[in-house]
Amino acid sequence: MSKMASMFRPKKLDLSGFVNTRLIRDHNKRNAFEQTEPERQALRYMIRNTSLPQRVRAQAQLQLSQMHAYTRPTQIKNRCVASGTARAVFRDFRINRFQFRMQALAGELPGVKKASW
Amino acid sequence: MADPWVVVVESRGPAEGGQVSPHLSNPQKTHTKQTMRRQSLTMFANATRSLLGAGKHLRVPLSIRSLSSPSQLNAPETKAAPQANPTSAPEATATSERLGALGENARLPRSVQAVYLRPLRRKAEYGLPVCDLQLRSYSVENVEFFADFAIRAAYYLDLPVSGPVPLPRIVERWTVPRSNFVHKKSQENFERITLRRLIQIKDGNPQAVQAWLAFLRKHAFYGVGMKANVWEHESLDVSKSMDQSAPEIQKSLEPHLAQFGQRKDNSAGNNIFDILDSDRFAERKNV
Repeated sequence: MSKMASMFRPKKLDLSGFVNTRLIRDHNKRNAFEQTEPERQALRYMIRNTSLPQRVRAQAQLQLSQMHAYTRPTQIKNRCVASGTARAVFRDFRINRFQFRMQALAGELPGVKKASW
Repeated sequence: MADPWVVVVESRGPAEGGQVSPHLSNPQKTHTKQTMRRQSLTMFANATRSLLGAGKHLRVPLSIRSLSSPSQLNAPETKAAPQANPTSAPEATATSERLGALGENARLPRSVQAVYLRPLRRKAEYGLPVCDLQLRSYSVENVEFFADFAIRAAYYLDLPVSGPVPLPRIVERWTVPRSNFVHKKSQENFERITLRRLIQIKDGNPQAVQAWLAFLRKHAFYGVGMKANVWEHESLDVSKSMDQSAPEIQKSLEPHLAQFGQRKDNSAGNNIFDILDSDRFAERKNV
């Protein structure tokens, strides 16, 4: 398996809305993880299964470690869909704190109002 | 404001499928226009309360338009009076009397009158809960209006109903810095309050309950999400009926159960790594 990240890049841009290099990269990682998840799980199972021969388990370990970094779930990071920022992204709205404030003040987020108590 | 989480949950009782705990399905988002039917909404919201005891008003022959605002109630009279005879007062009173008499003779259909009164309810005979409907919204008007609508619909489907019970509000608050970068000292608070109403159907026919839920989904109101828990009850000799239906169920499951198990040709000395490298896995990777 080649170690090129380009293998996970689609020929045509499959994203819409705000688009950013880092956003596309994250999207590719998500796709890569989704596609290889059964394989990863199979290898993980083999590594942990003590009833399997040691050789098979070692082989599985090697194979799992040689899989591309993009197929790892830890590579996935939530990014703001409106600005691409990776920090302070609200899970509820999938946007950054500043985008949240702007959109909330503009009344674009249903039910969100300025609070005072 | 008009973007609710529409969540519909239908869980069956233990007698049906053994699935006791209700679980949420994926929330679907529905986008609707905020302006839609705002007019009619306010009309009902105000009218139901103010006209509760005013049965007399309903006898006046009114067009639908004039009902929408109490200020227009007298519009036909004031217009009619000058036409009849603007100079003489007795003539005018006669006209108003005539109109009053007309109001007493003619009336709105009962079903239309009922809209201005408190919703009618059926009496529950046993009080056995059959369906819990939860309505959620960010605005009081919408959820109140739709709860009222649901109760009226239940009456016409012959379903005894209790509620709407106002459930505790869900308050979510966020505090964010005002600036896009640093300056943590200046922040702003936002909140989202979800209002909930619970409507419970008691000892209704399961088919009628389904019809009621389908009707409410068909006429779903903007900005109001719905979630329903449905229970079905069986007679005491459930086991007998389950035994009777077992062969049928087994037959219907056969095509699915046939998919389980290992293929004989697959297990013949194949290495797991060969399987992982096989076309089926490779296919997925190259998608």
